Amino acid sequence: MKEIVINPITRIEGHAKVVIHLNDDASVRDARFQVTDFRGFEKFCEGRPYYEMPSITSRSCGICPVSHLLASVKACDQIVAVNVPTTAVLLRRLMHMGQIIQSHALNFFHLSAPDFLLGMDADPATRNIFGLIAKEPEIARQGIRLRKFGQEIIENVAGKKIHSSEWVVPGGAKWPLTKQRADYLLSNLPEALTITLKTIAMFKEWLSSCTEEVETYGDFPSLYMGLVTADGGLELYDGNLRIVDNDGKTAVDHVNPDKYYDDIGEAVEPYSYMKFPYYKPLGYPDGMYRVGPLARLNVCSHCDTPLADQELKEFKKLGKNGIVQSTFHYHYARLIEALFCVEKTKELLSDPEILSERVCRRVYVNNYEGVGIAEAPRGTLIHHYKVDPQGMIQKVNMIIATEHNNLAYNKAVTQVAQKYVKAESLQEGMLNRVEAVIRSFDPCLSCATHAVGQMPLEVQLIDSHGKLLDRKIRSPL
Amino acid sequence: MTVGTVKLKIDNVEVAVPEGTTILEAAKSNGIDIPTLCNLEGLSGYGGCRLCMVEIHGSPKLFAACVTPVGMGMEVITQSDKLREYRKMAIQFILSERTHICAVCVANNACELQKLANDLGVDHVMFEREWTRLPVDSTHDFLVLDRNRCILCTRCLRVCDEIEGVHTLDLKMRGKDAQVIIDLDEDWANSSSCTSCRKCAKVCPVGAIYVESVALEETKDKGIAEFVLSRRNRK
Amino acid sequence: MTSTSKVRVATVWLSGCSGCHMSFLDQDEALIDLAQQIQLVYSPIMDVKVFPENVDVTLIEGAVANEDQEELLKFARERTKILISLGDCAVTGNVPGLRNGITNSADAVLKRAFVETADMNPQIPTDVPTLLPKALPLHEVVKVDFYIPGCPPPADLINWVISRLMRGLPVNMEGRSKFG
Repeated sequence: MKEIVINPITRIEGHAKVVIHLNDDASVRDARFQVTDFRGFEKFCEGRPYYEMPSITSRSCGICPVSHLLASVKACDQIVAVNVPTTAVLLRRLMHMGQIIQSHALNFFHLSAPDFLLGMDADPATRNIFGLIAKEPEIARQGIRLRKFGQEIIENVAGKKIHSSEWVVPGGAKWPLTKQRADYLLSNLPEALTITLKTIAMFKEWLSSCTEEVETYGDFPSLYMGLVTADGGLELYDGNLRIVDNDGKTAVDHVNPDKYYDDIGEAVEPYSYMKFPYYKPLGYPDGMYRVGPLARLNVCSHCDTPLADQELKEFKKLGKNGIVQSTFHYHYARLIEALFCVEKTKELLSDPEILSERVCRRVYVNNYEGVGIAEAPRGTLIHHYKVDPQGMIQKVNMIIATEHNNLAYNKAVTQVAQKYVKAESLQEGMLNRVEAVIRSFDPCLSCATHAVGQMPLEVQLIDSHGKLLDRKIRSPL
Repeated sequence: MTVGTVKLKIDNVEVAVPEGTTILEAAKSNGIDIPTLCNLEGLSGYGGCRLCMVEIHGSPKLFAACVTPVGMGMEVITQSDKLREYRKMAIQFILSERTHICAVCVANNACELQKLANDLGVDHVMFEREWTRLPVDSTHDFLVLDRNRCILCTRCLRVCDEIEGVHTLDLKMRGKDAQVIIDLDEDWANSSSCTSCRKCAKVCPVGAIYVESVALEETKDKGIAEFVLSRRNRK
Repeated sequence: MTSTSKVRVATVWLSGCSGCHMSFLDQDEALIDLAQQIQLVYSPIMDVKVFPENVDVTLIEGAVANEDQEELLKFARERTKILISLGDCAVTGNVPGLRNGITNSADAVLKRAFVETADMNPQIPTDVPTLLPKALPLHEVVKVDFYIPGCPPPADLINWVISRLMRGLPVNMEGRSKFG
């Protein structure tokens, strides 16, 4: 048996490697997506006061810290058992919109656009955001501006762009939003909307020219999971879990997130620091499901903002029974979500209640367990805590958006490898396509395992007796 | 009996202060700023943090300004490269003990230790860190004691004893392993002497004693000891 | 793109959350100006797989938590003139260091995550880089030239340090940076 190793996978939020196992005839047997680092949040939080959890777990991830803050604080809200003031909920939602806008902009412009706009076979030294600035300065600038808009929402609501953990407190929020800040955000909104609409139009035009990618980028059936509103609409902060299958049939609906463990189990493989969640009724590994933008658009019936809803209708036509299954369409789904969030931002900022000064309740421990759930940019994020009567953390379980997709990654990577990788000639573009499929999922390995660990790209050919036949290290430039 | 006046030079400025004044008080009353951490107006001097060290002309060793009385003709230096390096090192010693993670601390942005590190340009800690995992005492209704953040400045002990007058708080063990205890090392909830007056939380310079779910800047009150004394001494 | 006159910059991400890299990107439009002056030669946001030779400035985020990271850090140190600890994890160990106080911390954290909370195949992964006993700040492993504390350090501070270094000016952090 031979194997090819791609290490590290770059331009994703985190580091991982892919090991491709070959058959004796050099065809691809399977491919494994391996995650190579781990920090241990679930252990070292034990013994800490529950109200420190938002700030500690925020540090799981610098890309979606807000999602961690919110999932964590919602678990804490259950522990203190109070009704969070309406205004605090509006502000948390607003902050979350900013989070998703900035994260989706980052993935599209900073990490993925170099592939679309500079070409899959472009020189790796320039196929990045700086190459984009050089070649397509206007598009790069728009991407930077859109991400900035998202980050500024977070900053204006919570005081800091990254890890704004002081503002997020159990029972509400630390301080209200001033009119001046709300007006500032509103003044930047038209530009954000224009950029988003323009990008969607540009992407759709480009989409028509890449049928091949659509068909080979993880185009396979699976289950899909996401939160929905009471009437089945797209929802990112609250709501209930819904899981649908590939024919658009709902497997489970209106699941109270507190009971996530009735449906979701976690498995371990020896080659990865990322666990493999699966849908319990179908067992492991058959219970493969996907989360994130594509899954969310598959599980919801509508968006309750006009422009995004229009796009959603068009998007659903790409699949049978309203289920779009190619992983490549995560990109498209992300842009639709970004549009939804920009529209929602306007709606939230126009709510007179958002400037109210009552944003927090006094709190103390009333329950010894809490589950907090939110839709992070990359999918459903679950924080589950148990505390003692003094509020000291006894047990923590976190299931991270990226982890849910773990089974699907392996499937998608295998599919691409089978089509593009030929052991006799390893070309940049081929290996890059393996990476690009992972990039289209937009994994955040920082979250999932705090994965890093880079080594040179090394291609190893190993025969069935484990003997090294050939070893190639790709030169950097 | 009259108190005499002492004349001395601080940073080459002639000053005159009453006998028995500490160098720190003398400097302060003449607008010269010396960094401190364990010192607090209204409490007895302690000399524990070693941040207020000064040079005295003619002596090779350094002196803690908060517990060194002025002497006639003294020439005191409060700012020099040597002292700056020394103070930076003192901050690093404190940061290397216990588990100081500003990012996830209740005192973040309201912490005297964090601010001093910033002012002095301490941008890393050259010593290996201790990383303690001591249990947090959160048994009291609203006061929390997290010994992992305690810097052993004893402000809480002194305010509890000298101002509130109950001496609930004390220390057990020695050196860097010393720990603040409540009464005879009980859980806070079982203390028979604590009056729940919060003065310990008001004077704690870091996030070691705080009022649960109240913003630190709302709790902290460095003037509390002096204020109580001023009321107490009204004639 | 000519690279002769530009400062060669690398960014590396060890055991951190990428927040420092995000803060680097939070320079927003200043990135466009920066692109005129620096050449990014190695970074998680680009596709170069091998840490190149002759790097002028390397910004490193994250603590050193596993054997691969230790190897990469030493490799980067050999090939770079100025090495900077970027952010609290690199500077102090920060949140990844919270496991350091646990006895046999590497085993304990792995057991909790992969054995106690697993429903299927509970086991500690073996075909992965081995965790070090403690998550360390960079300067306990290699020589570090500058430190930019913060969780994350603000974008304008990162920008200030890079531009000072590019102009060969001294970098004094007094009153400028803070932990947390």
